Amino acid sequence: MKKLFLAFILLIAFILRFYQLGENPPSLTWDETAWGYNAYSLGIDGRDEFGRFLPLDYLESFGDFKPPFYAYLDIIPVKVFGLNEFAVRFPSALFGVLTVLVTYFLVIKLFDNHRTKQTQTQNYAEKIGLISALILAISPWHIMLSRAAFEANVATFFIVLGIWLFLEAIEKNKWLILLSVVSFALSLYTFNTARVFVPLLLLILAIGFRSLLFEFRKQTFFAFILAVLLLLPAFKFFLTPQASLRFKEVNIFSDIKIVETANKQIQNDNNAFWSKIIHNRRLAYSAEFIKHYFDNLSPSFLFIRGDGNPKFSTQDVGQLYLWELPFFIAGILYLFRKKEGYWWIIPLWLIIGIFPSATARETPHALRIETTLPTFQILTAYGLFFVFRKVSYLRYLIFSFIFLFFIFNILYYLHGYYAHYKREFSQEWQYGYKEAIAYVQSVEKDYEKIVFTEELGRPYIYFLFHTKYDPKKFRSEAVVEREVFGFVHVRNFDKYVFTKDFSSFKKGNNKTLFVNTPSGVAENAEKLKTFYLLNGNPILVAYR
Amino acid sequence: MKKILLLIIFIAAVLRLWQLGQVPPSPDWDEAALGYNAYSIMQTGRDEYGKLFPVVLRSFDDYKPALYAYLAIPFVKAFGLEVWAVRLPSAIFGILTVLTTYFLTIELFKKFETEKKNLTSHFLASRSGSLLTSFLLAISPWHIQFSRIAFEANVGLAFNVFAIFFFLKGLKKPVWLLLSAFTASLNFYVYQSEKVFTPLIFIALLIIFRKEIFAISKKYLMVSVLIALFVAMPMLNFMLVDKAALSRAQGVSFFSDKTPFLKENVQRLIIDRQNNDILGLILDNRRIVYFKTFLANYLSHFELNWFLKGDLPRHHAPNMGVLYIFELPFLLIGIYAFTFGNFDRKIKALIFFWFLISPIPASFTSGVPHAIRTLNFLPTFQIFTAIGILFAFRKLSDLSLRHLRYLIFSFIFLFFLLNFFYYLNQYFVQLNYFTSQDWQYGYKKAVSKVWEIKNNYQKIVVSNKPYLDQSYMFFLFYSKYPPSLYQKESVLSSGGFRENHKFDKFEFRPIEWENENSGTLLVGMPSDFPQGSKVIETINFLDGTPAISIIEK
Repeated sequence: MKKLFLAFILLIAFILRFYQLGENPPSLTWDETAWGYNAYSLGIDGRDEFGRFLPLDYLESFGDFKPPFYAYLDIIPVKVFGLNEFAVRFPSALFGVLTVLVTYFLVIKLFDNHRTKQTQTQNYAEKIGLISALILAISPWHIMLSRAAFEANVATFFIVLGIWLFLEAIEKNKWLILLSVVSFALSLYTFNTARVFVPLLLLILAIGFRSLLFEFRKQTFFAFILAVLLLLPAFKFFLTPQASLRFKEVNIFSDIKIVETANKQIQNDNNAFWSKIIHNRRLAYSAEFIKHYFDNLSPSFLFIRGDGNPKFSTQDVGQLYLWELPFFIAGILYLFRKKEGYWWIIPLWLIIGIFPSATARETPHALRIETTLPTFQILTAYGLFFVFRKVSYLRYLIFSFIFLFFIFNILYYLHGYYAHYKREFSQEWQYGYKEAIAYVQSVEKDYEKIVFTEELGRPYIYFLFHTKYDPKKFRSEAVVEREVFGFVHVRNFDKYVFTKDFSSFKKGNNKTLFVNTPSGVAENAEKLKTFYLLNGNPILVAYR
Repeated sequence: MKKILLLIIFIAAVLRLWQLGQVPPSPDWDEAALGYNAYSIMQTGRDEYGKLFPVVLRSFDDYKPALYAYLAIPFVKAFGLEVWAVRLPSAIFGILTVLTTYFLTIELFKKFETEKKNLTSHFLASRSGSLLTSFLLAISPWHIQFSRIAFEANVGLAFNVFAIFFFLKGLKKPVWLLLSAFTASLNFYVYQSEKVFTPLIFIALLIIFRKEIFAISKKYLMVSVLIALFVAMPMLNFMLVDKAALSRAQGVSFFSDKTPFLKENVQRLIIDRQNNDILGLILDNRRIVYFKTFLANYLSHFELNWFLKGDLPRHHAPNMGVLYIFELPFLLIGIYAFTFGNFDRKIKALIFFWFLISPIPASFTSGVPHAIRTLNFLPTFQIFTAIGILFAFRKLSDLSLRHLRYLIFSFIFLFFLLNFFYYLNQYFVQLNYFTSQDWQYGYKKAVSKVWEIKNNYQKIVVSNKPYLDQSYMFFLFYSKYPPSLYQKESVLSSGGFRENHKFDKFEFRPIEWENENSGTLLVGMPSDFPQGSKVIETINFLDGTPAISIIEK
């Protein structure tokens, strides 16, 4: 019976993640496109787009130095399904489904284990596991991130798997701890945020299980050695300035305004010594950190609107469903009340999962705190289970009322996603490139040069992707520029020129095809074709 | 015990009365309006529009319930039309709220006190919970903020606390119910939010304590209801008869702010209709958008950034929220301990109801979260925090390592001191510097200068563009312009919120430099005037940026 339920939940998870995977979201972002093309390139000759052989530390890509593992995972799907949207997103969707499965096992291990000797929990740990898995399967947060090539989503799988294997090792087979280490290491090679989160998590697990780890010191020792070995290839890179480049660009500690305000406040206090203590810039930065931390827990973000970035949320429902709210709160209260099994892992996991994101200016951020999944779902499931056990009278009435709201909430999300989402947010998904490039390809033999705007960002990767351009040829032809801040611009290859500045190109010889945003089109140009977003607004124009 | 209570009241009084007229640096337009209307009613029995003994002040077409203005009359009479005199009723009711909260929470903590095992410290002796709650309220940035401005909400909060306290008393001694009914119904005249909150909390009280209520002699219940009806009648009458009563509600509610969020929806409905999508027509219904907006507004008040950010600049000290960050862990512990602790179930229900219905009035409005419209949250935050502190300290006293215990105690205490001291500095020193513009600073000096040279000019034009909105009210307030005179002069020229005003030699309207006659005195923002015009005086905000220019053309 339980297996049947689990299979049913996995089926739901599968459908919600794979149905129309290639069509909705409507098009590929530049990061997705880069994953796909790098996988394609690695699949051909083992080199990334710019020719580094089997890179383990990073993919340079647009100068954002992506952790490379997603590209490796994507090699086989690209080989099997071809270089298209579905193949690019396949690993994320697949690991999304697998995360649902592992969550089930994890929850059972969390609440039903022989070390904490709570026999009564055996009866319901599996039920809570099933509910957690179901809630994760239908979670808007997890669905949105599983339906695009977000490396974070894969990292989340490896983190959940790592924790589960760790608990299995504690409970049953001590040597499983080595597999756990491998899983955590893979997450570090998948997503940047995991590089902060996983060490903190391991520290907490090590403290929580210190006596057991000491008891198994042989296995612990080998696990440690293995971890060092696994991290060696990337370790040198972690210490280079490039690795912290992105972090420096977006973090709150470079905000000079905070220091200015602090200085002004000290001045208002006539430079008193106590004022220098209370207006210390470290305190001000700490406060700033906490503010950003709290942003990630704001009710609007979690339950109403979700992340302001439409790539992570339909803007109609929160990162979590609204119906989850009472159970989420109840779950926290019950968890602390009952203190069952390794309950303490969940709140600590949730708390440190938000740390990395709180140092960034852009908060809340559903992607950077995806490492907290599925703690929200587990808490909700826990609350749901005990609330229903507790409610005695009017049970069925309350149950059906909540069930109705639950159904309504899910329908509301899915309807919004399949009926309106594509049209409303196609621009956020860089819609238009594919159509424009298909057109360019169909007419390019009539032109000597094709000038394409860089206004929408990174057009070169779309050309490579949609024309399935030979990577070797690309590497030999491309003119690449690298900025001081590390950003990479491909200026031209083959007939294609990418620029923001159209003024330097001669017009009128009809041998050059231009593609630009509507506002950039020269007045006297002969417009050949206009490309529209799904909401009807023009996004690109081809002209002579 | 009494000494500690007296000390708390003393702290509350100092924090609410010290420099009352100087911090915040200037009355905002609502304060000025309440003050001048009090002055006007005091002298003539009529408000600025000439309405005799109004229950509602039209003011800037926001139709303020009038009771605050009446409360201010004795102080304005005694001390003159001064800023601090106008603010004094709010401050006094703030102090009374702190006192009443002590007595109210005694009911609440009764059970908690009886199970005091393992208590080692004298600090946790009886009534400590109530003392702690009222102390937290006494130093609460949220409560201090609105006790120090002439604003109705703070009096409304006080009346709610009184009414609930009298109600609980009344369950044992029914005479108190009469007083409870009186204060609760009077609250309709204090502040808009109370028209929603007070009925809701009383419905909750009646449901929770239905058994106790049935046990009370019908005589008292009848008289209470009669008192409530009698007191509330004029206001109910006004609300039902006068269309203006609704205009404020419409002005601020999100229902009236249709354009942005319904536009997207209309687009969706068109698409659904094209696709014959029946499910879509149901899900994209306008009512669902309203419902969602309401819920979103409601939930926005449970934002953790209340602790660090706050909402509008006038609602908190700069760089502070309205709650102390040191309170956060204790608040969470308190909610946990209160949920599972050995408290009277009815009291639990009451406090949670109180906490959960406080944001309802504000949720119908746009511009959320809103610290004033949800002032009725107080003192529930303080109650939870106090329980959390007691609970945490009880757990800590069980700790076997004595040194560690002292270390933790002193760390918490130091952090509290730092937080409190920071707040005092932010409020009493930094607020004036950083937010004087939000407080519409500058009029006091401007009016006295203009009055000094007024006789040299035929006509004086004062801008009323933002940030100088409602400048006429500040000129009335600071010049103490005779209300009888103003009522006569303003009949024809003074209108509502966006209208221009006129009295004496003054015109209040946007300045158009090109069209002004020469020989006119102009008062406006520096940006209203071309360079090189003849500046008589420039008044700066407290951070040194220019605020108001007085210029002769």
